[in-house]
Amino acid sequence: MATDEKRTELLAKLRNAVIQYDEDASKEGAQEALNEGMDANDAIFNGLVSGMEEVGRMFEAQEYFVPEMLMCADALYAGLDILKPHVKQLDLGVKGSVVIGTVEGDVHDIGKNIVKMMFDVAGFTVYDLGRDVPLEKFVEEQMKTDSDLVCLSAMMTTTMTGMKKVIDDLRKKNPNVKIMLGGAPVSQDVADKYGADGYAKDATNALKDAINMIASLKKMKDEVEARKAK
Amino acid sequence: MNIELRNELLSLGAAVVGFADLRGYLTGEIAHLDRAVSIAVDRRLNEDTVSLLVKLQKRTVRDLKSRGYRTLAIPPDSDRNKTTFVSKLYSLFNHKMAATSAGIGWIGKNGLLISADYGPRLSLATVLTDAPLEPDAPMEHSLCGGCTLCIQYCPSQAITGAEWSRSRPIIELVRLGSCRSHKATKRATDGKPNCGLCINICPYGRKNIEASEGKKVRR
Repeated sequence: MATDEKRTELLAKLRNAVIQYDEDASKEGAQEALNEGMDANDAIFNGLVSGMEEVGRMFEAQEYFVPEMLMCADALYAGLDILKPHVKQLDLGVKGSVVIGTVEGDVHDIGKNIVKMMFDVAGFTVYDLGRDVPLEKFVEEQMKTDSDLVCLSAMMTTTMTGMKKVIDDLRKKNPNVKIMLGGAPVSQDVADKYGADGYAKDATNALKDAINMIASLKKMKDEVEARKAK
Repeated sequence: MNIELRNELLSLGAAVVGFADLRGYLTGEIAHLDRAVSIAVDRRLNEDTVSLLVKLQKRTVRDLKSRGYRTLAIPPDSDRNKTTFVSKLYSLFNHKMAATSAGIGWIGKNGLLISADYGPRLSLATVLTDAPLEPDAPMEHSLCGGCTLCIQYCPSQAITGAEWSRSRPIIELVRLGSCRSHKATKRATDGKPNCGLCINICPYGRKNIEASEGKKVRR
């Protein structure tokens, strides 16, 4: 086991690697953490994700722009790839499996990919359908994988309308599935009107929303652990 | 800072290093990183070209970051890892634009970057940054003059003969369709897609080659 001092040092290293978008440092830190026998979950959530949270804050404060944010995400993935095989499955009390994709006619998938990454980090099983996904495909995939969450993304108003059809079809087949929307033209109003359960503000804020999701997941995880401890 | 960085890159094997002020030349997402370090490497290093460029790029990024500046490294065109998030942004950017802005060369009739010393035999990588680097004088006009060798030798008559200048960057120099279809035919007949005649024939930089190849083993 790593000593407390070493643990703090490595967490700071991972966190800074993400903030400084340094892929090499991220890989190095992840490998070191494993060599030291650190818990992979600890390294991911308190190191990499904590860095990404700071990046989200900097992005919101307009200290970082799109390129920096994307490079930070790349750095996070570089470390995550090394740590992930060593992750113990989190017991979140929720079954984590999600279908995600950008709807038919739309090829914009940066926001979708970042949201996907956060699900990856949180230990969800992610079925990524990619971009320009035929509308029926969402329903098919949901039925096939029995996922409890479907995330739809669109960047243009012209393709956004396809979401309504997906939601209607999903509801017909499976009334219990949760549906989240995201993308530039989507708003809470649209999400309500279309009958979705959740909404990620817009493409650039999707990261922040995904981070909020992770934060609440972390909280749930802590609560579950606290309950176990009792 | 300029001189140090330039000398360091040159000593590590760069052929030419230039600095450019790209204000007004970049799209929104990357507009805040308006200085560019344009790194050119001799293409005749073959397989080593790309790895050298990547190494020089990493060095530049480390240098600038350690001074507290931001960087966005745009990798050489032949080494674009499409799986990263940031690779989506690479298509917003053109290495040749940075190289001409940094005064490394001009865009020849064959559509390639031509340097007075190396001709079209350079491979490029760029690091965008917000460091206040002193820009080099940009190249404003083509120095191809009346030379039409690449037009004559092009097997697919793809080269239009139009002349590039910095004020008219969007102009058809090469009919890409013709060039591509020739490459496809060539791939079908002898398995190698690359034609490269417009590179080989360019008189710029030939002296440099002859001088260096006299020393090295002739290929």
